[in-house]
Amino acid sequence: MRIARLETSRLFHRFAFGPRPGEYAQAIKNGLEVTRSNLLTVPQVDLGASAVTVPEITDLGKRPEANSKEVVPFAIAMRFQNQQLVLWWLDRMALSDHGLTERMTWFWHGHWATSIDKLNYALPMFNQNKTLRGNALGSFNTMTKAMLNDGALQFWLDGQDSTVKAPNENLGRELMELFVLGVNRYTEDDVKAIARALTGYQVDRSSGAVTINPNRKDSKPVNLLGTSAVFTGDSLADFLVSRDDCAKFIAERFWYRFISSSEEMPADFSAKAAFANRSIAKAVAAVANDAAISADRYSIVKSPVEWFISACRALELTPSKLSTPGQLINYLTNLGQVPFSPPNVGGWPADEAWLSSATAQYRIAFATWLIKQSDQSVIKNLAPSARVSKSADWLGIPEWSARTQNALRASIDDPAQFVLLALCSPDYIVSA
Amino acid sequence: MDTLSRRKFLKLTTGAAAVGVASNFLSLDQIAQAAITRPLPAETPILVVVTLYGGNDGLNTVIPYKNPIYFSSRPDISYKAETTLPLDAELALNPSMVGIKGLWDQKKVAIVRGVGYPKPDHSHFSSMAKWQTASPERQINSGWLGRWLDSQPEDPMLAISLGSVLPPMLAGTKISGSALPLGGLVIPKGALATQCIQLSKVSRIDSKLMAAAATSMRNLFNLSTTVQPILKMPAPVATDLPTVNGGSAGGDSNLSQQLDVVAKLISAGSPTKVWSVSLGGFDTHANEANAQAQLLGVVSASLTRFMSQLKSTTRANDVTVMVYSEFGRRVKGNASQGTDHGTSGPMFIIGEKVKGGFYGDQPSLSKLIDGDLAVTTDFRDVYATLLESVLKSPPEQTLGKWAGRTDFLTKV
Repeated sequence: MRIARLETSRLFHRFAFGPRPGEYAQAIKNGLEVTRSNLLTVPQVDLGASAVTVPEITDLGKRPEANSKEVVPFAIAMRFQNQQLVLWWLDRMALSDHGLTERMTWFWHGHWATSIDKLNYALPMFNQNKTLRGNALGSFNTMTKAMLNDGALQFWLDGQDSTVKAPNENLGRELMELFVLGVNRYTEDDVKAIARALTGYQVDRSSGAVTINPNRKDSKPVNLLGTSAVFTGDSLADFLVSRDDCAKFIAERFWYRFISSSEEMPADFSAKAAFANRSIAKAVAAVANDAAISADRYSIVKSPVEWFISACRALELTPSKLSTPGQLINYLTNLGQVPFSPPNVGGWPADEAWLSSATAQYRIAFATWLIKQSDQSVIKNLAPSARVSKSADWLGIPEWSARTQNALRASIDDPAQFVLLALCSPDYIVSA
Repeated sequence: MDTLSRRKFLKLTTGAAAVGVASNFLSLDQIAQAAITRPLPAETPILVVVTLYGGNDGLNTVIPYKNPIYFSSRPDISYKAETTLPLDAELALNPSMVGIKGLWDQKKVAIVRGVGYPKPDHSHFSSMAKWQTASPERQINSGWLGRWLDSQPEDPMLAISLGSVLPPMLAGTKISGSALPLGGLVIPKGALATQCIQLSKVSRIDSKLMAAAATSMRNLFNLSTTVQPILKMPAPVATDLPTVNGGSAGGDSNLSQQLDVVAKLISAGSPTKVWSVSLGGFDTHANEANAQAQLLGVVSASLTRFMSQLKSTTRANDVTVMVYSEFGRRVKGNASQGTDHGTSGPMFIIGEKVKGGFYGDQPSLSKLIDGDLAVTTDFRDVYATLLESVLKSPPEQTLGKWAGRTDFLTKV
């Protein structure tokens, strides 16, 4: 029973954004097979997610001259769109009926980590998000091709400035190191070669439209990873994605984000073989079915967004309706994680990076703010004597530690404090 | 990597490898308390390590301002010779490094040229790991100063990094340095505080990460709210800094804030022999000139101010500063007015005990290796010298058998 509770908890918290009230208890009743199947089967319609209003993100065009009268409304519109974009995605995460698609979109956002902070325009980031969601459980080959034509990624990694005369290595290197193959699975000559193969892209910054300028493209063959060829973006994606190292690398990234960032991946981790035809859904299913998912030693810290969204789901809060959105984004900034703004192309950090006395403080303040805006009805509707035991089910916790039980028991007559302690407990911050 | 955030980069540098020991998170108050009760003995040498994340372009830092190859290799981003700050007949500092130039003129700056390690790695994450572990051949989980800590009596105050994440450099196999977040903490009070402290207790079923989560909460409450005298004091006064730069002498940068805290705590007698501070943003693939000059200006002004602040304390003679980055950049500019990842770069060693001047050979611009500068000095030569002469510790404990040294410090 304990293992079933642990595994169910991990399915909810790692492959989705945590249970809504009642979902965890129901899943325990349904049993693991049903829970896993529900999780891995993408429904035709997701009413929760589709109820989220799609923001109007438009092409704002070129930035007006500094000090012109157009620049102020332009900057306001830009800021507004950027904020709407973040709120829209947070809402989708919090309100979707089927967590896996949003969770995988979130995973891929951290994988092809692109930040709006360089681009500044919301539209290309919005389009990238659609690409990542559309391919989140599809073919990694298709995804890679789409990402090479993604204006936000191209701009972020200076692809638009890479020409036959002076190739820029930024995109090519990261494509191999961080997106498809993994570090040191290529030589420095390969980096120079792939940079040449990737020349010629041009990006319209405000719309994200990508074109290829033949005059700027190096049309000579390059010698890449032992193969001499003239590559297009598509044939380059085919070539890299088909390599064995790609399956190994994606399995490593799945291991890192879904199982453990510190324990080593076993060589026979099932995600690798399941990725044979580059089907993301199959590899994810393999992770969810792997023996590691029920092994005690693989705990993982919820990142700030994961923690926040799971709290919203438990408290039935809608992120964009929190007062005010500016404060919400401030809290996320303090904790170090705002969607669309990863710190660098390596994506978000993991585990201990989210655990310091500074984050402990910000988490308490953030949770206090959230709880004030919720009715805490789930806890209030329970008899005080039942609150400690039933709240583990409410939040999808396998079992409360003795320490947390003591803290909660002392707060059964103060629902707001009870909820605050539960959300800030080590048992909730960490997916056991 | 344009918006390079130090704390996240740090986490990535460790990769999937677990840091050997959970790090301590210190509060300023704890350090202040230690400074009062057991100050660092007078005249104990102190090492301050400055990490520049992102790969600082060495050729636009220490500029071969008379070499035609420099100008022809990077026409868009080379500095006009007359704008640079000449150090000798061949090399000049970036125009933004006025403060460091002043210290150079006072013979307090050693510039070690062409520093790197064998088989340069062009990945930010791998290269930084090699520098911080001092193990370029083999991936290991402990940092070079962490292994030094392993050889010392355990003391959480001995090595302190500013910021909320511990750099791998300070992670030992048994003992790790401490992380000191900038900025004050607001601590819950009353009944809530009592229960938060309850939450921070260790539980039998805790995994390593849950225990770490409990510890992070506990450290928040370990702050004594009464012992703050040192931190409430103003930073030491920089007596000899011209005021023409007004408050802009690096005063707004995060590096400057970090160094301000370090100066205060050194001045107060914190029992700390190693400090680590850092600045990110050096990954200048595009539009390099302005971005790098701005960052180097911050480094120069913050360090100049720091050295000057120390002069009003009794510890000015004890401090040695080391500045490094994970790699230099490609000699040839790219089409984006920037440079791609390269290999070797200059290191700066600054302090009263430093013998100012150049060390190591300047890598040749005409004999590039695959378009990159050669490595002429191994960073372990520099580390070994600092371990031996500043930390008074046999380098073998940290680096294994390592013969190379760079003679940039006066013997005491």
